[in-house]
Amino acid sequence: MMTAPNKTISSNDPATLRRRQWRMLKDKIARYGMTLGGISVIITIMLIFFYLLYVVLPLLLPASMEEAHQYEVPSQTAGNTLYLAAEEKSEVGVRFTDKAHAVFFYLADGSIISDIALPTPTDAKLTSFNHADSAQQVVAFGFDNGQALVVKHHYDVKFTLNESGDNDRTIHPSIQYPMGEDLIEVDEQGQALTQLAVQMGEEENTLVAITPDHRLIVAGFTKEVDFFDESVTLERDGGELPLPKLEIAYLLLDKEQKVVYLADKAGLSTRVDIRDKTEPQVLQQVQLVENGTQLTSLTFLTGNISLLVGDSRGKITQWFPVRDKNGGESLAKIREFDAQNTPIVDISPEERRKGFLTADSEGQIGIYHSTAHRTLLVEPITNANITHIAVAPRAKRLLAEDDANQFHVWNIENEHPEVSWSALWSKVWYEDHEEPKHMWQSSSASNDFEPKFSLTPLAFGTLKAAFYAMLIAVPLAIFGGIYSAYFMSPAMRGTVKPTIEIMEALPTVILGFLAGLWLAPVVEANLPGIFALLLLLPMGILLTAYGWRFMPKIVKYHISDGWEAALLIPVVIFVAWISFLLSPPLELWFFEGDMPQWLNSVGIDFDQRNALVVGLAMGLAVIPSIFSITEDAVFNVPKHLTSGSLALGATPWQTMTRVVILTASPGIFSAVMIGMGRAVGETMIVLMATGNTAVMDFSIFQGLRTLSANIAVEMPESEVHSTHFRILFLSGLVLFIFTFFLNTIAEVVRHRLRRKYSNL
Amino acid sequence: MTQETPPLTHINMSSLGREENGLNLDKEDICLEVKNLDLYYGNAKHALQKINMRIPRKRVTAYIGPSGCGKSTLLRCFNRMNELVDGVRIEGEILLDGNNIYHPSVNVADLRQRVGMVFQKPNPFPKSIYENVAYGLRLQGINNRRVLDEIVEKSLRGAALWEEVNDRLHDNALGLSGGQQQRLVIARAIAIEPEVLLLDEPASALDPISTLKIEELITQLKNDYTIVIVTHNMQQAARVSDYTAFMYLGELIEFDDTSTIFTNPVKKQTEDYITGRYG
Repeated sequence: MMTAPNKTISSNDPATLRRRQWRMLKDKIARYGMTLGGISVIITIMLIFFYLLYVVLPLLLPASMEEAHQYEVPSQTAGNTLYLAAEEKSEVGVRFTDKAHAVFFYLADGSIISDIALPTPTDAKLTSFNHADSAQQVVAFGFDNGQALVVKHHYDVKFTLNESGDNDRTIHPSIQYPMGEDLIEVDEQGQALTQLAVQMGEEENTLVAITPDHRLIVAGFTKEVDFFDESVTLERDGGELPLPKLEIAYLLLDKEQKVVYLADKAGLSTRVDIRDKTEPQVLQQVQLVENGTQLTSLTFLTGNISLLVGDSRGKITQWFPVRDKNGGESLAKIREFDAQNTPIVDISPEERRKGFLTADSEGQIGIYHSTAHRTLLVEPITNANITHIAVAPRAKRLLAEDDANQFHVWNIENEHPEVSWSALWSKVWYEDHEEPKHMWQSSSASNDFEPKFSLTPLAFGTLKAAFYAMLIAVPLAIFGGIYSAYFMSPAMRGTVKPTIEIMEALPTVILGFLAGLWLAPVVEANLPGIFALLLLLPMGILLTAYGWRFMPKIVKYHISDGWEAALLIPVVIFVAWISFLLSPPLELWFFEGDMPQWLNSVGIDFDQRNALVVGLAMGLAVIPSIFSITEDAVFNVPKHLTSGSLALGATPWQTMTRVVILTASPGIFSAVMIGMGRAVGETMIVLMATGNTAVMDFSIFQGLRTLSANIAVEMPESEVHSTHFRILFLSGLVLFIFTFFLNTIAEVVRHRLRRKYSNL
Repeated sequence: MTQETPPLTHINMSSLGREENGLNLDKEDICLEVKNLDLYYGNAKHALQKINMRIPRKRVTAYIGPSGCGKSTLLRCFNRMNELVDGVRIEGEILLDGNNIYHPSVNVADLRQRVGMVFQKPNPFPKSIYENVAYGLRLQGINNRRVLDEIVEKSLRGAALWEEVNDRLHDNALGLSGGQQQRLVIARAIAIEPEVLLLDEPASALDPISTLKIEELITQLKNDYTIVIVTHNMQQAARVSDYTAFMYLGELIEFDDTSTIFTNPVKKQTEDYITGRYG
């Protein structure tokens, strides 16, 4: 070093070496530290992305099925099967036979638990059979003397302590008689019941039957419990409807006990209103299958609103009543499912979802979901002809019987049939709606409810909220940023810029509840004033600017350059005051005293928490980021460029519009994109100020629901790993991709622009 | 500041007389005239002190002097660019063709169209070559394609750049080399046909070959424009200018024919500077 002037350039004395090593070490630590930091950020983001994907992926898996057990049909001496069912735990099955037996057996091996001969009249022959909605576990037998027997298969679960101290669970099936062990007189004329349908209700049970002399008999039974001895008596309340001479093959009664469907083999169906039991009325006749095909299977989807129709060509269609323009209802074909090859022999709806299973005559099983319009699986399970199928209440087990006297039990893996591209993004025709719609309505207390998982209204709401926020934030923030960077005096800029930037630190939850609880009512009460303000404020500012030109010199002299903007503060306050002052008279003159009500009366729906409130509140939240980045971008335009422009005789305004904004454009662009990203991902403000109604309406007076708010609202109440839960994650993934795309586009554009203007 | 000023004892009184008599400028047409010009930055700094001088038309007038002597400041007074600096106060007059450019009725933008300026660092706008040259014209509302085409070509030819860029007029100007950019900036300045062209060290950021081209260009431009150039490079001043002014610490020390300044300066400070004793 200094003491060794004769040394070569790289001196190697210990002190220098030590220093060099220390310096290298510091370099390395810094380099690896930064690399580590950068890579871990990327890894974290990837992990988030992959975790979301990991949760979402099961939604896309197809259904699968594997054979669990196969054995001979239990207790064949009891007769041929009419109906199969399984209990909740999928351990015990039951078959009702044409000899009026109920055979309970273990599904695991077919061993019989009990074979119960039901109390039938000895002199009467069994002529018809039907089951109620599967959740009721009720079946009915009809006899040729016009009487019927209603039975319920019931299961008690008992826990007994075993030797090792654990609980053993045993299921004890039994037969109950909800309408008494005595037979019920359905047809008072004593004619045979060729078709029968039954539904049980809280107060009323209904039996519907068809007799050989072409009468539809409707019999309602109201329970009357005696106060003293608690004996139950049934009050019959019935009527009849003569039918055309058709061979009715199918008779369905909905569980609300309001509508009856009849259909013959050719698919001609009649819808009958039985709300008044004494006077059934034909509502409509519809051909359910094409000419030349046979109706081979007809059942309700869970909820008893939709009909599932299987035909001899293997096609399955879904129908439900749709309200038409005249206020009436007519049965409409909603959707068609991929055809199987051979006639559909049985359809078994899932008890708790809008899915169903079908069996065709070649031994194939199909698994479908109606809302998602999805064919999840078509797979053969036997070479023989299937005669009956049943799906267990939890839809995890399939029971099937074939004509070779074999009984099949299959396990089904079908967790998330509700999700398909069309269910998430396209219009779907939901039950009880007039037309296909985009809807989000994820859950309700009842199993009959059709969940509506369309992400479109949420994505729409997200973009709508962002749009209105940007509509307010972008002009204010960009013009403000340009003014402050380019025209404002340095002293004023020194106050204004940090003030606006500190607004960014404002917790959005505070902005949210201010918007929801204070601003929304204020806006509603002063609606004309708000619009007057939006209109008058720019005008007032322009007028002030114009008036400034005629200000006497002495006034101008006292306000130094770049402080003119401060003059606008009283102007803004004055205009705001005037606007609010004008609000009540304006409302009185033009809007009959109440603008929200007036809007409603002219057909514009008005919500108190609407896009206007969100636009104002979220606009305020994104202004600081946009302002700050724009300001920096404009301020950092090289001085030699502005000087160059001014030296060519440009006015400051011309310089600003033609050179400064152009050069600052990459920065301004990324400012807008970052603001947009923030508006899209913002949760608390939209959660509290939007009303969270998932409507697809661009109106400024309507509320909305965003993807982020939806996750915040529904995640706490969604069952872990349910379809709903995974769809919420999916909407998170959509949000992630949204912002990822926005930022990527922003970054690409910014890079291009920056390269274009790089050698400044 | 006054203490730093070298004693004035060595001033040759005859040179003062020559300066005051207007030198030998009588046969020249006077374009710019500076009268008693004082310039202050804030209250403390007296950056230009009582400048008096006349600048002849269609000649090249060079300012030389050490850094901080005020030559660039003076140059910027000619198109009032100094007003962009905070806290500047200017007293005195500058006459352009006999009219005071600091008169309140003068529109600065109009003035700057008549007095063009080229800066030390090439500063093309982030636009195409064509749009850079057309910029000043578009400011004046000239948008006729034919007129613009004509003037752009003429200006680029005038700045000796046409041959190099005529096949890529619509490429971004930032793709040009430093020397080309500086000539583009000159083309941009002459496109609006100013009377005066102020060059503020136009070649100091350029390589020798580009510098040479700029110097050749200045010699050509002299036929049409009054050129005022500030330079650090005395050889450059000697090569391109007709008249040279030497400034020192905010004062105009000597103003004369370039040949006189460089071969036979009257004042000792000038001689010291030229011979490299300071600066």
